[in-house]
Amino acid sequence: MTISLDLAYHAPASLDETLEILSEQAGRTVLLAGGTDVVPSLRDDLISPNRIVDLKRVEGLGDLAVIDGALHVGCLVTFSDLIGSPAVHARLPVLAEMAGMVASVGIRNRATLVGNICSAVPSCDAGPLLLALGARVHLVSREGVRTVDVDDWFEGPRRTAIRSGEVVTHVTIPLPASGHGAAYARLSRTRGEDLAQACVAVVLEPGDRPRIAFGAVAPTPVRARRIEALLHAQGLDAGAIDAAVGLVAEEVAPITDVRATRRYRLAMCEVMLRRAVTAAAGRAAGDGPVHGTPLM
Amino acid sequence: MVDHTFVGHSTPRIDGVEKITGAAPFTDDLDFGPDLLHAEVVASPHAHARILGIDTYLAEQVPGVVKVVTGKSFQSTFGLYLEDRHIFAQDRVRFVGEQVAAVIARTRTAAKRAARMVIVSYEVLPAVFDTDAALADGAVELHPDLADYGRVPWFHPRPGTNIAHWRKLRKGDVAAGLRDADLVLEDTYTVPRYAHAAIEPHAVVAELSVAGRLTVWSASQSPYTQRNLFAEALGLSHRDIRVVTPYVGGGFGGKAGVTMEIIGAALAMTVRGHPVKLHWSREQEFVNTYQRQGLRAHLTIGARRDGTITALQHTLHWDAGAYVEYGANVVNAAGISATGPYRIEHVQLDSLCVYTNLPPGGPYRGFGYSEFTFGLESHIDRLAHGLGIDPVEFRRRNAVVGGDELPYGAQMNPSGLLEAIDRAADAIDWGIEQPAPSPTVRVGKGIAAFWKAPAMPPNAGSAAFLKFNEDGSVNITVSGMEIGQGYLTAMAQIAAEVLSVPPDRIRVETPDTDRNAYEWQTVASHVTWGCGNAVLAAANQARDRILDTVHRALGHDVASLYLVDEQVRSTTDPDLALPLREFVVTGLEQPSDGTFKGGPVVASGSFMPEFTSTRSDPETGQGGKPNVHYTVGAAGLVLEVDVETGRIAVRTVALAVDAGTAINPVAIEGQIAGGVLQGLGTVLYEELRFDDGGRLLNPTLTDYKLPTASDIPDRVIPIIVEVDQPDGPFGARGVGEHTMIPIAPLVANAVEDAVGVRITSMPITAERLYLALTAEDG
Repeated sequence: MTISLDLAYHAPASLDETLEILSEQAGRTVLLAGGTDVVPSLRDDLISPNRIVDLKRVEGLGDLAVIDGALHVGCLVTFSDLIGSPAVHARLPVLAEMAGMVASVGIRNRATLVGNICSAVPSCDAGPLLLALGARVHLVSREGVRTVDVDDWFEGPRRTAIRSGEVVTHVTIPLPASGHGAAYARLSRTRGEDLAQACVAVVLEPGDRPRIAFGAVAPTPVRARRIEALLHAQGLDAGAIDAAVGLVAEEVAPITDVRATRRYRLAMCEVMLRRAVTAAAGRAAGDGPVHGTPLM
Repeated sequence: MVDHTFVGHSTPRIDGVEKITGAAPFTDDLDFGPDLLHAEVVASPHAHARILGIDTYLAEQVPGVVKVVTGKSFQSTFGLYLEDRHIFAQDRVRFVGEQVAAVIARTRTAAKRAARMVIVSYEVLPAVFDTDAALADGAVELHPDLADYGRVPWFHPRPGTNIAHWRKLRKGDVAAGLRDADLVLEDTYTVPRYAHAAIEPHAVVAELSVAGRLTVWSASQSPYTQRNLFAEALGLSHRDIRVVTPYVGGGFGGKAGVTMEIIGAALAMTVRGHPVKLHWSREQEFVNTYQRQGLRAHLTIGARRDGTITALQHTLHWDAGAYVEYGANVVNAAGISATGPYRIEHVQLDSLCVYTNLPPGGPYRGFGYSEFTFGLESHIDRLAHGLGIDPVEFRRRNAVVGGDELPYGAQMNPSGLLEAIDRAADAIDWGIEQPAPSPTVRVGKGIAAFWKAPAMPPNAGSAAFLKFNEDGSVNITVSGMEIGQGYLTAMAQIAAEVLSVPPDRIRVETPDTDRNAYEWQTVASHVTWGCGNAVLAAANQARDRILDTVHRALGHDVASLYLVDEQVRSTTDPDLALPLREFVVTGLEQPSDGTFKGGPVVASGSFMPEFTSTRSDPETGQGGKPNVHYTVGAAGLVLEVDVETGRIAVRTVALAVDAGTAINPVAIEGQIAGGVLQGLGTVLYEELRFDDGGRLLNPTLTDYKLPTASDIPDRVIPIIVEVDQPDGPFGARGVGEHTMIPIAPLVANAVEDAVGVRITSMPITAERLYLALTAEDG
């Protein structure tokens, strides 16, 4: 199907050129990376930009590397890139576990991790995991560079801390210490391509406070700070996990919609939390399920 | 069984390479050049409203707009079995999404923009969204003119109500049968609406030539039926209409009959000389084609301690939607067969076609049987458990066999239901418990039987043209549609068997009504049987002509001649080996005088079941022979339930179907895999959901959940039973739709086996099962 619209399309080759274009006042601007959100939204008349700035030709935005103890994920890095990266598998396998649950192979070949947190739908898969990993979002504009803690990134459904004229160049994810365990669990209606009805990311580092975040059960991905504190205080034995599960209803605020009822989402958050914490703890101990094994 | 050369041998699809390489043309691929105009419809935002006025002025000012067309220009009614539709809404709209007007423009964008600027004023009317509301006293009447609509003689509408058709069947004395039972079980089962969700949305391009010729290219299962309805609705002669149907990207009943195509055909009448294209978006595809009708089925069945079913009372309330021109026949089909494949002495069936303010219902793979079999086969399982009889054994004891009297009096055709039940049960190790793979998982097994007859008018015909070419190859034209089922290949195999010409030397083309012979429609799983008989007749005629030519030119007795390896051979003259390519066009030279005998071999075949009749008593359904035959089968399934989440993982499905004779076994195996998966989609994931104003909440593939490659069972075991259909080509009967019919109750039965919970509403999503499991826990 052809899409014909009255809009300008820019494909700058450098970051400078990109920022130059963005600095010009030209009404509604959409940044395009993989296009898996932008293109369907255009087709369905959900957005009507005056111009599209396509980042795919900009040099340096596709970097994926470990730099100074953190994983640097450029804004053009796709979910398939993460799945295929030896560095990710060696140092941060939970990132590949999450990426492997996003949509389908065809979508993962185009869709980017940064695009996922920039479109910022409540069910985005990358959001909860980046929260649990303590990632930082790096932006640049003509005014200079800026870094936002991912905890401060999500402001509402499809709303983030990005400002007019800015581009997210990359995110950095501090690599957890060796001996860490992490898990991403996701509830969906089918095992194939589907949006998450609810999801949870758990990161356990030896001696550190656990980091846990839920997705699709609030207007934005949310940290479960009370649960984190409880598990930090009580450890990870069965009683502590039971107590943590008991706190789920205080941490999340799911709604009823066409994808699930509030009641089911809430109950499944409890199951997912128990399974993800158990899996992460097992992985930390060296005997958890292989990454990618569906927990739900 | 007879050993054939081509029939019964798995044969690669003759359309396979074209489709796998992406070269196969579909309607949207056809190029009509720069004169092509684009249309967009103006859709009703209300489920039920009176149209007070339509202001097209603003829309007409949009640059690129050619014309805005409303119902004023087209006032005739149309419909396949009941003429209750208009091309555009006239005085009122009856569902959200109904077409009120259309814009024709030079670009699709201009058409879309202008369609939004057509101002329609409505007076909203009360609406009904389920059968209870529609049947209630004082309910708003959707079709006050119901009595005046043209209809087939076997429909029985109730003017003054929302009942468009009430099919009754009465056999024996149900009350006495229930008194005679040791166990009587009564319950209600609910089946929601479903969408076909074919990959290819509906599309039509139509052009009225300056000479008055209307040509329509459409994605359709029914080119000749479309031509017929276009002629009637637009007042044209059939000879002046040509319908061309390229490959279809999924039909499943959704592209049967006529839906949006008539809008394209009508619009072309208003812009003579210009092709006009209308191509549904995915949302329009969900809302304004056909949907599978919703069903509330109330079942009472009684059985004796020895396992004999004594009586069955089945009341089916069909949510048939705003227009039922096709859907009412789904209701009819169910209303004479909703006993399932069982021999039952006392039967009462009431199948009611109820108008509601939801999108039009219509045909969907299974044609009513997929819907009622959910409740019926669930109920049969519960009765077996209630009597302490093994569900496999209970079905065996009541299974219909050839020669049995059917509920309406006719005789059951030869069939292999018992063999199908046994083989399906064996394939899943019925009766043997399987260990659960983890502490939160329970394993369950289910069994279900099914039957289905083609639902057709008694005079549904098929025809075929066949011609030989200079190189001895063959062209066949028929007007059944290749909708993925392998029909073209089966037709080639049937002709190949008679003519000894291999299927890869036979080209069978998709329909063009100017060129191809007649076919009623590609529905009812009847084309292999019906059109196969026409192709068989054409091939026999061609063979007779070939042998006659040899007889006349060379003097051989016709009875001694036969075809093998593309040659004419003789049982009496071992030296005779005449390659067909040498004479099927150019004839045979007579040795005596150098003259030629024969000429181009062309043939035709025509078939109509001359033994069917729909004449029956409207109060009892007794009499006539409405169905040509039934295809029967059974299936078994193994699944796992995660009791903490309600999620179901289907491990194994074995499905046995009696194909009579399998023309192309690999194609039947494909039908089994496809039917199983489609059935699993409806029972596990899919469901059309509406808000309280009748607006569809999930008209997208994001939220109308189809199973994907990741959701398929570990194993699908296809089992082909072959009990000859005496009037079928080489003994064949249809199997296409049947393979999804048992899947929903199969899952419900296995779920109960696994976790002890009986679900009576589809779909059995993880969430619904979880909620049922936790309710059981108290």
